[in-house]
Amino acid sequence: MTLAVTPSQGGRWLPLRFALREMRGGLRGFYVFIACIALGSMAIAGVGSLAASLADGLAREGRVILGGDLAFTLIQREATANERAFLDARGKISSAATLRAMARTPSGQATLVEMKAVDEAYPLFGQAVLDPQSPLADALALRDGVYGAVADPTLMARLELKPGARVNIGNANFEIRAALTNEPDKLAGGIGFGPRLLVSQDALRATGLLQPGSLVRWHYRLRLPNEGSEAATRAVAMQAGAQLPEAGWDIRSRSNASPQLERNVERFTQFLTIVGLTALLVGGVGVGNAVKSHLDRRYETIATMKALGASGRRVFSIYLMQVLMLAIIGAAIGGVLGAILPFLISWAFGTIIPLPLVPALHPGELLLALVYALLTALVFVLWPLGRAHDVPVAALFRDIVAPQPRYPRKRYIAFTVAAVIVLATLAVLLAYDRRVALIYVGIAAAVFVLLRGVAAVLMALARRVPRLRSTGLRMAVANIHRPGALTPTIVLSLGLGITLLVTVIEIDGNLRNQFANELPTRAPSFYFLDIPSDQAATFEAFVNAQAPAGKLAEVPMLRGRIISAGGTPVEKIKPKEEAAWVLQSDRGITYSNEIPTGSRLVEGKWWTSDYSGPPLVSFEQRIADGLGLKLGDPVVVNVLGRNVIATIANMRTVDWESLGINFVMVFSPNAFRGAPHTHLATLAYPGGSTPAEEATVLRAVAEKFPMVTTVRVKDALDAIGSLIANLVLAIRGASAITLIAAALVLGGALAAGHRHRVYDAVILKTLGATRLRLLSAYGVEYLLIGAATALFGMISGSLAAWLIVSQLMHLSFAWLPWPALAAALAAVSVTVGLGLAGTYMALGQKPSPILRNL
Amino acid sequence: MINNSQAGPAIALAGVNLSLGHGAARVHILKDIDLHIGSGEAIGLVGPSGSGKSTLLMVMAGLERADTGTVTVAGENLNKLDEDTLARFRGRHVGIVFQSFHLIPTMNTLENVAVPLELAGVTDAHERACDELAAVGLSERLHHYPAELSGGEQQRVAVARALAPNPAIIVADEPTGNLDEDTGRQIIDLLFAGHAKRRTTLVLVTHDPALAARCARVVRLRSGRIDGASTP
Repeated sequence: MTLAVTPSQGGRWLPLRFALREMRGGLRGFYVFIACIALGSMAIAGVGSLAASLADGLAREGRVILGGDLAFTLIQREATANERAFLDARGKISSAATLRAMARTPSGQATLVEMKAVDEAYPLFGQAVLDPQSPLADALALRDGVYGAVADPTLMARLELKPGARVNIGNANFEIRAALTNEPDKLAGGIGFGPRLLVSQDALRATGLLQPGSLVRWHYRLRLPNEGSEAATRAVAMQAGAQLPEAGWDIRSRSNASPQLERNVERFTQFLTIVGLTALLVGGVGVGNAVKSHLDRRYETIATMKALGASGRRVFSIYLMQVLMLAIIGAAIGGVLGAILPFLISWAFGTIIPLPLVPALHPGELLLALVYALLTALVFVLWPLGRAHDVPVAALFRDIVAPQPRYPRKRYIAFTVAAVIVLATLAVLLAYDRRVALIYVGIAAAVFVLLRGVAAVLMALARRVPRLRSTGLRMAVANIHRPGALTPTIVLSLGLGITLLVTVIEIDGNLRNQFANELPTRAPSFYFLDIPSDQAATFEAFVNAQAPAGKLAEVPMLRGRIISAGGTPVEKIKPKEEAAWVLQSDRGITYSNEIPTGSRLVEGKWWTSDYSGPPLVSFEQRIADGLGLKLGDPVVVNVLGRNVIATIANMRTVDWESLGINFVMVFSPNAFRGAPHTHLATLAYPGGSTPAEEATVLRAVAEKFPMVTTVRVKDALDAIGSLIANLVLAIRGASAITLIAAALVLGGALAAGHRHRVYDAVILKTLGATRLRLLSAYGVEYLLIGAATALFGMISGSLAAWLIVSQLMHLSFAWLPWPALAAALAAVSVTVGLGLAGTYMALGQKPSPILRNL
Repeated sequence: MINNSQAGPAIALAGVNLSLGHGAARVHILKDIDLHIGSGEAIGLVGPSGSGKSTLLMVMAGLERADTGTVTVAGENLNKLDEDTLARFRGRHVGIVFQSFHLIPTMNTLENVAVPLELAGVTDAHERACDELAAVGLSERLHHYPAELSGGEQQRVAVARALAPNPAIIVADEPTGNLDEDTGRQIIDLLFAGHAKRRTTLVLVTHDPALAARCARVVRLRSGRIDGASTP
């Protein structure tokens, strides 16, 4: 008699029921699976939530950061009466002037400060907080013939100032009345080279620093009436452009208060998302391993189910369901941890980080992390699950069957390929910079394929090794190529780990070298800004006398903003990534009769020294390419409120790394004839200099030329260096998650092999193998696999770092062999250690109980 | 005490007791076992399931340590040997054949048989393994993995592996338990041929009275005690 079954009785939910039933024994064997998914999704959810919280903060605090609903910035000049009238007619205005200056103490100490001179209306939004507390206007007021100033606490610490202390700036004397503990619009100013000093505009005028051509920016912040709507904000910006086209001001609205910061946040978010994805991909290997070894353990169960009537497809569905449930558990854990991250950071570092973080739950980001986690899980499990489809019922009639390399059915290969494509597409489509995302996908795919190749080559080589005399070594070599060997999984997880570690270490080292250690010997020690034209010769003579070993170079300098290039208005130009910065703000420009030192003419001709035709300009070639410019194109630059139209006469290449005086644009001298401007000078010590020599020059120049701002290159690089250090710290932190994932995967892979290892070890012990002999054989095996993988990891990691440093960051790359080698050795030691720890435990077991249970 | 003094004892057990498990689950399996097995003798260990046959075999092979009493094998007191010395001792003096074959799945036939020889430092391990496999009729299967062999073939590999180092003692735990009758007979023939040719002491655990009857002596176990002995 046969059992009559209608299809509906099978039940749509049968796979789910079976999957749940299978999981009744708990999650044993799946901890690595869940941890891998949780780590990756935590990284993605955390980065996404943090970035969204930051974006929220920037949006909400836009007015405070910008200092108004709209901000108009002019370079080297104040608004004309006409311009001021335009602004005054549209709301409440607060103006502020920013410039760099030298602050000197009565004891002769001098340091660079970022000075900001504000009016009575400042700040329009937010609040300036002083310590000791007092109204800002009081703190800045003229009292007993001395102007007040408030200073960033770091300035007070650097010059050992207490409230009541005096400093000189230019021709004026200031009393430091309080520390400036909160400057509401600090972020809009970007990165400064010195600490902030806030003074009144009357005080600024008293310093005498406002000379024609001195490098000062005037910011006019506008508060629109009635909480001005977005539309009103846009309307005013458009009117400003239309009614005052010659103003050449940079207009920003509260919705893009700090575009540079937003760009950096987005860029950094993308980078960290890539690191998160890497963690997921590395974890994916662990997920795949876990599923493979789970199915290995369930071999007889699957065969039994098939003997009882389950189709291959049903077996696949049951285990797919189980895997998806586990992935969701992992992703949920990661999602919760990731969602907590902004709250945690806000709670722990809220008062320290200078960013407006508004922690909140961001369901979109959490959903994205879940999608990434599920897709990654699918990429790595569809293949082994597909193989479960064809488990033969005959397995029930055989003893342990050695795993045979076998492809799943085409359908499952197609599913896997589809999951890979969807994952890669999602990563690219959601990226801030798709080119970077595409490169990443390419590198990730290449590394995976290459690591498979390395494992295959290693196994093939081991197979071909002639018979060795030492039994231990022979066993080790044989273990590398045997069916079911751990080689592919160890190579993949360890290889990914070492590649990542070496990449991070090489980038880290190169960034540090770039900004700290490897300062070119020809690099100047000082930059001198705002040297009045009429004092240029005196200045030169003075510095030459002060620093006889030094070499002074001096050029005229103006500031200019590109208004249009090649006939296209700047807002419609779509620059390449590497050239975009030239359009983002005002740039230093110069004029010269000769090709500047450090530049090389590559296209066109230089003008003659008596050239008097229409203005010409020489452009840096890579930037010109990035902006789509060619010889003969017109370029309009606004200088001192005047639009100068010049034709591109030639192209140059510039050695930027020399840190000498280099300009993107060099004009023919007749372009600025008669325009007020200052000079820029550098002082280099070809034979090297001591800190004492540099301190003497700094002090002497500050004393003799109070109007001249001295930037010590070492200090500036230190400032950048500390930024880089923070960046590197973030990279390390994020990479640590991936490295933990790699270690987990490696541990998981070794643990998965542990069952077979115990079996082998017990049989070998019954046949006469001692623990030491087994241990050394396994040790040599791990060492051989580890060393080969480390070699590959060093090469691929170094290549990846070279690609990132030279092609994406556009910095020079120097291979650092020792840190890479140390990282690789450390990783190999961890592998051998982890492997032997597990094996040692296996060897400690008495054979009889295991033999009974086998 | 059951004694066989035709020759010097290959295996001598005196007052052996062994319990396994922990706490409430601890079971006293071997109780006051005294047994002498002469060199070159073939004995069958019989008894109902759970009587302690396999455990006794493991004690003789040094795979299980007695709680009390002494176990002397090939003149060596196993109680005094540490685990590594025991492993080396086994490799040289004791060959073991399991009911479930216990071949190493990641090694091919030749490698499986060569393992004890290699571990003992034999220089021509693979050549000798080849000869042993030829002796059990598997010359054509040298490079096959266990999963590619039938149950009978796997057990023949196990017999070749046990005989390869020319051990003084072969212990076999129900070697035909997983095989059909014909194949089982072939395996037993191989074991007895090895025993006869090499003068190896053979200890055979079996449920099969016919098989036990081929041994020179049969020792019966019941509830962990020796219940008697007979000479077929």
